[in-house]
Amino acid sequence: MLLIWTVAPFLVTISVSFKDRAAVFADPSLIPSSPRLDAYREVLSSESFATSLVNSIIVGLGTTLLTVALAIPAAYAFARFRFQGRHLLLLATLLPRLVPGLGIMVPLYRLAVTFGLLDKRLTLIVIYTGMLLPLVVWLMVGFFQSIPREIEEAANVDGATLWHRLRYIVAPMSAPAIITVGVLAFREAWNEFTLVLVLTTNPATRTLPYELYLMQGIEGIANFPGEAAFTLLTVVPFVLIYSRIERYVVAGVVTGAGK
Amino acid sequence: MRQGRRSTRGRRWFRARERDPEEQYLLGSHKSVPYLFSLPSIALIVAVLGYPVLYGVWQSLYRRPRLGAAEEWVGLQNYLDLFDSTEFWRSLGRTGVFVAGALILGTVLGLFFAFALYRVSERFRFLRAVTVAPYIISNVAAAVMFRILFNGQFGLINQALARMGIDGPSWLASPDWAMFVVIVTQVWTDLPLTILLLLGGLMTIDKSYLDAALVDGATGWSRARRVTIPLLAPQILISTIWLSYSTLTSLGVVLALTGGGPLRATQTLAMDMYEMAFRHLKFNEALAIATLILLINALLTLGYVAIGRRHEYQQ
Repeated sequence: MLLIWTVAPFLVTISVSFKDRAAVFADPSLIPSSPRLDAYREVLSSESFATSLVNSIIVGLGTTLLTVALAIPAAYAFARFRFQGRHLLLLATLLPRLVPGLGIMVPLYRLAVTFGLLDKRLTLIVIYTGMLLPLVVWLMVGFFQSIPREIEEAANVDGATLWHRLRYIVAPMSAPAIITVGVLAFREAWNEFTLVLVLTTNPATRTLPYELYLMQGIEGIANFPGEAAFTLLTVVPFVLIYSRIERYVVAGVVTGAGK
Repeated sequence: MRQGRRSTRGRRWFRARERDPEEQYLLGSHKSVPYLFSLPSIALIVAVLGYPVLYGVWQSLYRRPRLGAAEEWVGLQNYLDLFDSTEFWRSLGRTGVFVAGALILGTVLGLFFAFALYRVSERFRFLRAVTVAPYIISNVAAAVMFRILFNGQFGLINQALARMGIDGPSWLASPDWAMFVVIVTQVWTDLPLTILLLLGGLMTIDKSYLDAALVDGATGWSRARRVTIPLLAPQILISTIWLSYSTLTSLGVVLALTGGGPLRATQTLAMDMYEMAFRHLKFNEALAIATLILLINALLTLGYVAIGRRHEYQQ
């Protein structure tokens, strides 16, 4: 049951992607009688796919790097130090997690228009990072707290500075956590649709989900094999990465949601 | 004299150290480090999440009489106009169906699959990886897949129904069935998290409770209903809150699957907001809808927590 529920949509999509447009209707069986790669060839050779793929990669990696770079020091500060205003600042970091993307869509669009930030990949990167930070800081605080303080204290006694401790003790020990949040961040930037939809107007900055969405509307008769192939091409690279680090991601999702 | 002063200073130093051992010890002389570390994140969160929400609520109190004219303060007029329009109440009703449908389907399937995963042997661990697969799919991609799956002419669902002798409807073109497909798609994208949450809860349940129930003769369904599900109440509460939030604020699935149609059958409040802003360019009115969605979400969450708490006392 579970397998059918999860896998059936993938199977039909794979099946359709190997048919040509006529065969979708003429040959409805799951295994195509004459499989062909036309749809893939069509998508791969289209300019919009190439451009949006590059954009998705740039925005995805940019978001991942910026998120990790900002979240690590913040989470470390919250996990290790007792400073004035700590609880208030932690609240200010975590509470915005409750803000849905839908609630900031229109305001962000208006602000982006006002400040001339539409159609910029950097805008997307910064906004995605801001949306991810509450969750990611939350996850990292937990991970840092699980690193025994005694290790750092011992290093401190041995004369290690704050920077040295971060570089040689904290960073290596939290590598799994960093991978987890990196994947979470990349997934979010790779898949996000509604904000790209409103914050980009120009094909040069669109990411893959937007381009896929447009593909459904532009052609009069639905190009099912093309859409299916496009969908699978956006998913497959991620499945490959994901299958190697599934354990981390599952852990991250559970802790993140369980707060 | 000298001796005494030194000893008080010594004591004060000792006390301060005791109060904040980490700060004194690991931080050394860098008192500003925690602030330098955390402020970039906080600044970005405020800029991207905090400020836009407040700006949106504030702007919902204005209106632009004509395109290009200056904005005027209208107080709550945008809200009052919404309450006056029948279309708003219809959208609210459809949103209610959407959220309730996704909650029921999501919770039932989530519990069912979590129980199933809990009981399968180690050999089928890969099933857990498969379960999470929809999580890595974008809403648009999921919509494409379900449009193919539910296609009236060649979709797998209708082929299966035809084999059973049922003439399946043309799902997405039918105002009666489109909402059903939207709900199923939304649940499909949200279910991995629900399952993992519930599974996590199941794993923390002390086995002795279940054994005790078994000794008392409770088996199968009655054990699940009387023992396991009440013990899972906290996880069910969290997954309910999360599913409801996710569905209420879902735009991508509806937009990519039906665009609100056919005949506005799947026009939710989120779609209303989107159309108001980007089709009619009435941004202030759209922000009023957005604010209402945030309010409804907050009220629903409080409601779930209240219900959850009552049930906790009962067991």
